Formats: sequence, structure tokens, C-alpha cells
Amino acid sequence: MSWNKVAVVGAGLIKFGELFGQSYEQMAAGAFDAALGSVDKGMDKDAIDAVIVATQRGTLWGQEGIGGNTVPTAIGLAGVACTRVENACPSGSDAFRIGAMAVASGVHDVVLVIGVEKMRDKSTAEGLLARAASGHPVYNRGETAPVLFAPFATRHMHEFGTTPEMLASVAVKNHHNGCLDPYAHFQNEVTIEQVLASAPVCRPLRLLDCCPQTDGAAAMILTTPERAREFTDKPVFVAGFGVASDHPYLHEKSTFVGLPATTLASRRAFAMAGVGPGDMDMAEVHDCFTITEILDIEDLGFVEKGKGGPASLEGETALDGRIPVNPSGGLLAKGHPIGATGVAQLTECYWQLREEAEGRQVAIRRGFALQHNVGGRGSGVSVVNILTRDPA
Amino acid sequence: MEDSTGVSTEPRPDPTRDAPAVAPVALLALGVGVPSLRLAARDVGAVWGAGGGKHAVALCDADEDTLTLAWAAAVDALRAAALRPEAVDGLWWGTSRPPFAEGPSHAFLATALGLPDDVGGALAAGSPHAGLEALFAAWDALAAGHCATALVVASDALVPGLGTAGEATTGAGAVAWLLGAGSAPANGSGPPARLVARSRGHMAVVDRYRGDGQVATGDVYDGRLFREEVFLPLVSRVGAQLATAPATPVGGWSVGDVDGKLAGAAARALGAALVSSAVTDQLGDTGAAASLLGALPALGEAGTVGIAGYGGGRASALLVEVARPVPGAAGGLAKLSGGRTVGYTEAAKARGQLVAMADPIPMGVPPASAAFVRGAVEMLSLEGARCTTCGTIATPPSIHPHCPGCGGVGRDIVHLARRGRVETFVVNQTMPPPFQAPLPLMVIDLEDGARVMLQGSPADAEDLRIGDAVTLHLRRYAVERHIPVYGYKALRAVDAGGDAGAGTGVGAGTGVGAGTSAAVTEGSTR
Repeated sequence: MSWNKVAVVGAGLIKFGELFGQSYEQMAAGAFDAALGSVDKGMDKDAIDAVIVATQRGTLWGQEGIGGNTVPTAIGLAGVACTRVENACPSGSDAFRIGAMAVASGVHDVVLVIGVEKMRDKSTAEGLLARAASGHPVYNRGETAPVLFAPFATRHMHEFGTTPEMLASVAVKNHHNGCLDPYAHFQNEVTIEQVLASAPVCRPLRLLDCCPQTDGAAAMILTTPERAREFTDKPVFVAGFGVASDHPYLHEKSTFVGLPATTLASRRAFAMAGVGPGDMDMAEVHDCFTITEILDIEDLGFVEKGKGGPASLEGETALDGRIPVNPSGGLLAKGHPIGATGVAQLTECYWQLREEAEGRQVAIRRGFALQHNVGGRGSGVSVVNILTRDPA
Repeated sequence: MEDSTGVSTEPRPDPTRDAPAVAPVALLALGVGVPSLRLAARDVGAVWGAGGGKHAVALCDADEDTLTLAWAAAVDALRAAALRPEAVDGLWWGTSRPPFAEGPSHAFLATALGLPDDVGGALAAGSPHAGLEALFAAWDALAAGHCATALVVASDALVPGLGTAGEATTGAGAVAWLLGAGSAPANGSGPPARLVARSRGHMAVVDRYRGDGQVATGDVYDGRLFREEVFLPLVSRVGAQLATAPATPVGGWSVGDVDGKLAGAAARALGAALVSSAVTDQLGDTGAAASLLGALPALGEAGTVGIAGYGGGRASALLVEVARPVPGAAGGLAKLSGGRTVGYTEAAKARGQLVAMADPIPMGVPPASAAFVRGAVEMLSLEGARCTTCGTIATPPSIHPHCPGCGGVGRDIVHLARRGRVETFVVNQTMPPPFQAPLPLMVIDLEDGARVMLQGSPADAEDLRIGDAVTLHLRRYAVERHIPVYGYKALRAVDAGGDAGAGTGVGAGTGVGAGTSAAVTEGSTR
């Protein structure tokens, strides 16, 4: 029996990319306008009584202290209740979870969850590379983002015989899906050979094993199941969610072939939704690097531990596979504007469950979709949300 | 007799009179630190249109300096003596250019070595004579009974001026001597060697000089003038003053050699063979370390060796009676060969003389911040927090107020083991300055059961493997906002019994197996 105490009635995003010409506020407004405009029966924006903003890295655009409170004014809702959520790479998905709890508690009726991230206003070196070394000021020097995931690839290859080709197959699939998603940052196919020939970034990961730095924004509108009918005849319901933490430093990890936070968060979400991995029609998972998707599909229970590589290579996660993973193109092709990422993944799940995903539409049989992020220092936090179109 | 200003008007004492007798002290063990790069003199000559010669000089890689060399030598000496750092009650360090011109150089070395908080000693600096000054000061403290076990370290990693004559001769290296009080004769039952006589003299001349803000040390005097009027007269005089009859005749002299030719001339004047050339030929002029390091071959066999050095207008000499090979001498000699030969361009980069014009990206936590200070100290002393309940060693302590294994709050601060194996790793190829790719980063299971994640060496990047044995070495991570930042790097062990710091595992904890962090599970309350 799923939770289903909250319904999604609108969702939208802007085209992801290097949006040098748009301000943070312009991106937020673009996503909000898209979400509001998507509401089937229309919505007066004054119906929104709370805004949850997900932005992870104010530091990336030199606005560390700004919070989320430029968003209400930017979208014409000055005065509305507004809170910013920061929870590393799951910031967007956690903002959604918190928004859902705000509605379910009865405190708020209609909540806008909006994820916005400016990744490209600073140079690569000045922004992500130099700042990625969070944590201990001396021990963790030299740790850029790939360093937090590549050690798992080294060990996964060592223990299970996972190959560079298997890793590359994830990038090939997600780039293919990205070509079918008009919102994706990258709209080009890549081959396994191209991935293997791309520049080494952090051995064993190469350039095309890594997601890009992307500007973007995404928004969703949540309300109660009762009020949902005012806005649409095709609401999607929040079936369940889970959050979990794990040791934040790599040298504390209990394993290098899995991300325990993912496993814990997904078990909690599945229990809340009363379903299991086999009930999912598709999943949007955190593929910041190719190895991450392989770990994810194992940790979420879609494939046996150690079998993520062969499953990817053999197409089990393709659009027409046993469990389609990242039909939107994922972080690898659609992009990873951190605060927006989770909300955009949930938007894809919303569209897929409503069968509005056009060329990348997967078969909806059981009516459940799973969204997942993992991140923070050393993948120390994971959030899983499960949506359903059938309020069982 | 005095004049009205208090100045003596007596004739000056004869400067060549015999040196006064001194109380002998024991040489217990020694250690050697050598940098990882070598530069052929002919490659220097090729750049500047000169011959250059057939020898090579040793130089520091970008992550090495006089502190890291001093640390390596001291660690070796402690191991050779089978002595725990806690047993050392004085550290005397001589180096021409301390890592901090004014700053906590001595405290950094003492902390990195795990010496007691109240360790005595001093830093001698300012010229290549600093090594002998440190030695004599330690000798005095031992003889006075103020110190029982003294660690003397002489090290240098001077940066020669581009295109100067010194560029083909200036090397880098370090030597550490463990000295003990006691005048027992150096025979089978006593210490392996004794320091039995010493002398010194000075001449107020400006020969080698580096002013504030200058990077390179330069020669002020004409080379011939320096040789004939300063070096040879002064060194010969202090050598000849060692009248105390040694048990055996002086079999050879080790003389610091500033241009590759002076030491031989000095030894000839003193009437014995030059033993230090075997070291100089491999490393070049190691400055403050040169005369002590040059004695290495003679300290491996019974006999008496004379040691003489010059720097900054001062010269000193001493005699060492060797009863049997000094522990560490053979290992030290073996360390001299090796090193990675680089070309002129890479050498200039490593010495910091060829610098990209792009501004390095400042790290998020500057060395001036309290967070950095907390982190730097627990890194420098390689601390772990050992849980008093389950024994898990958490690293570093500042981020683990509760045990990651059992959640307990009781803990003891311990020093970590210095040897371990690679559990997993990456090779980072994409980093902003000051990082240099390829940079391995490894999760290491240490022998005491603790786990750490540390940088490695580019030299190990190519074929690093899970399971490789590594040892932890102090290295200079970067110079940030003009401040050197030090930490440990994991370098692949040359062999299982390699010589990189095991055994000095200061207070190694009783480990309980690697990866003892609790796995988060459904039952977790977190």
C-alpha cells in the first residue's frame, strides 16, 4: 500500500546547458513558468503557498550567502513562504521530499519545489575543481569530484571483472537517450570506442565517463490528492521516499563496490511505497559517472551485486530493456545542475508515468517510477523518491 | 690589559694553537635522506654553453624540500638505532635555508618525527656551516648532561642561480646522527663510534650570499680568491688544530666541497685521503649536510675519520673514532644511488624556477585559517583516535569525535603506522595548479588497522595496483600563499623490507583490522 498522500499536478524545466546568457533568477523563472504552464486545467500562481528552493552550490557563482530568497520575487510570488534546501547532490530530490511532507502535514496546500543551479558562471578550475576538496583541509587535498567515485570503479573492476567497455556502455545508452530529450545538455550519440578514446580524467574514468557541468532549473507543483482534481485529471502520486546517510570520507567506507546510503534509502522508500524494485517501470538514477549508474542499479536492487556492468552492456537498462534507466539521458547527457537535478529527474518520471515522454517513452505496466540521487562527501547521503500514477 | 673602552690590547692568541680537549660523545646511529631527482651536469652545460662535467647533482622534486629530506634522514637514524622518538630529548637541525625563513621550522620537524613536546635543541641556519654548528651545540648539551639522546640533522636543498657555476654543483641531501652521552671508549662493548676532538675558526668575509627576497644564493668573490684566501687556509687550519691523538691515525677526511675541487685540495693539505668524494659525486654539494654526509663511507668501517666544513665565514672540524660500522651507514650508502634523472626543464620546474604565469587557484581553506591549523597539526604528526571500547583507529581525530566503528566516545590519540597496502585508488589527471598530474590518490590499510586516504607519487601512477605495499613519507604538498603545506604521501615500497619508516611507527596502535567503520544498515539509528 503506497503512501499517496501528495499529488504532483505540474512539472517543467528549461533546456539544460551552458546558459551564459541567463541569470540564476531567469533560469528559476523559466522552470517555474514551464511547470505552471503544464498544469492541465491551469493554476493561478497565487494558489502556491510555499516555495522550497534547492540550490547546492551558491559558492559556484559567488553568491554564498544568498539563500533561496531571490526566487519568490523572481517568479512574482514575493511574500510566499520560502526555504532553501541544501543536501548535496540529492538537494533537489530532498527538496521534493520535504515539499511533500509539508503538504501531507497539512501546513501547506500547494507547494512549489524548484531546483536551480548555476554551474558555469565560474571557470571549471575556479569553481568545481578547487572547491570540490571539501572536508579535511589537508588530508583531502587533490580530491576533485571524480576522486569520490573512481575508487569504486577501480575496486568494482578488481572484484567483479567489470570492464571499461561496460562502463562505457552506460555513457553510450544515456547519450542515446539524451538525443531523444529536448531538454538534455548533450544531444549527440557516442560510441564505446569514443568513450574509451576520450581523455583520461581520473583513472579509470575518462572524459565521457563523467557528467558535464551544466546550468539548469526544474520545478514541480505538489498538492493534496483532494485538491489535485482542481488542476488535472492525471495527477501522479508520491508513493514513498527514503533518505539515508553514510560515512562521508572514502577511507571510512565499509565497501568500495557499493554505496550503502543508496541501499538504505531505497529500502525505506520501497517499504513506504509497499513495492519492490521489480515493480518499477523505469528509474532515473544518479549517473554522475558511468560507474555510479552501475553501482546504483545494483544497490537499488534492479540487478544482483556485481552484475551491473554486464547488465548495462547487454541492454537491460535501455529504453526497451527489462528496467529502463535514465530515459532522460541522465546526468551524463542531460546534465547535472546539482540543485535542479533531482527535480528534473522527478519531472521525467512524471512525464513517463503520464506517457508524455514522446520518443523516449518507456512501457508503463505497473505504474511506478523511481528517482534516485546519491552524493555529498563520499556519497554520504542518498534520497530515493517513488512516484505512481495509480493511487492504489 | 684593557684600553679605556674595555678592548683588550693584548696580542691576539695564536690562531693555530691546538684545539682544547673536549669530552667525547657517542655516535649511536645515522640516517640519510636523498631527494628523488638527479640532473646531469652536462645537461646544465648544454643549456649555458659550458662543459659541465660527468657528475650529476641531486635535487628536490616539487614536493620535497630541506624539511622532507631532514625528516627522511631522521626517521632512518631512529630506525637504525632501534630507538623510539620519545627517547630523544634534543633535536638540533642545521640547514642553510629553513623551510620558514622565520617561522616554525624546528617545531614542524619535531612534530613530524613524533618527538616529545618538551624536546630541546635548536635550529642553526644561515650558511652551509649550519650542520656543524648544530652538531657542536648538541655535543655541548650532551657533555653538560642537559641531554641524554640528541638527534642532529643536517640538510640542505639550495636553489642555485640559473646559469651560475653553482648550478652544476649544487645538490641536495640530508644526514641525521643520533648522539648519546657517555665517554666509554669506542670498543666492542661501547658505542659504535665516538666524537673525540673538534676545532673551529672564523674569518669575516662575504663569499656566498643571499639577501632578503632573493631566491638564489650567489658567489660574491672571485673563485680563486675564495679558494686561496678563505677556504683552504681556514679549513686547513681547523683540521690541523685537532691535536688530541686519536686511537688510530686519521684515515681520511670528509670535507664539504662547494665547487667540486676544493675538498680534494683541502684533504691533500691535511695529509689524508678524501672520503667524501663518493658522496659528492652522486649528490653534488649538499651544503649544510655535506661534511657530515661525506663521512658516510668512513663510518661503515673501523678507523678514524676527520670531518671539516666551511660556511658563512666559519670553519669547523672534528674527529670520529669508529670502533665498528655505525648502524645506518651501509643503508645510507645504498640510498645514494638511484633517483630519477630529469632534464634541465623539469629540474627548473621542480626547483620552482620555471613557473607558469597563470595564477594558481587558491584552495578553499587558506593556511591562515583555524581549520587549516587544526588539520595541519594532526596531519603532520599523523594522528589517529583509537577507540577505548572497540579499538578502531579513526583518522584524523578532529572529524571523529565519536568512534565510526561502535559509536563510542572514549579514545586515545595515537600515532599511525607508516606502512600499509592499497585497498583502492585513482589517478587524478585533471586538477588546477598547484597540483601536478598524474596524482595517485589511495585508500590505504595501515599495518595498525587504521585506514587513511593519501596522495601518492606521479612516479607510481603508471602501474599502481590494488594490494601494493606502500610506505608513508613526509612531503611538501604545495606552497600556498607563500606558506609551505606539508603532509604525508604514500609511496610504493621498493621491497617488503624497504627502508621507509617502518619501525619508527611511533606508538603504533593495536589495530583491529582494516575498514572497521560500521557499515550502515537498516538497523542503523543514523
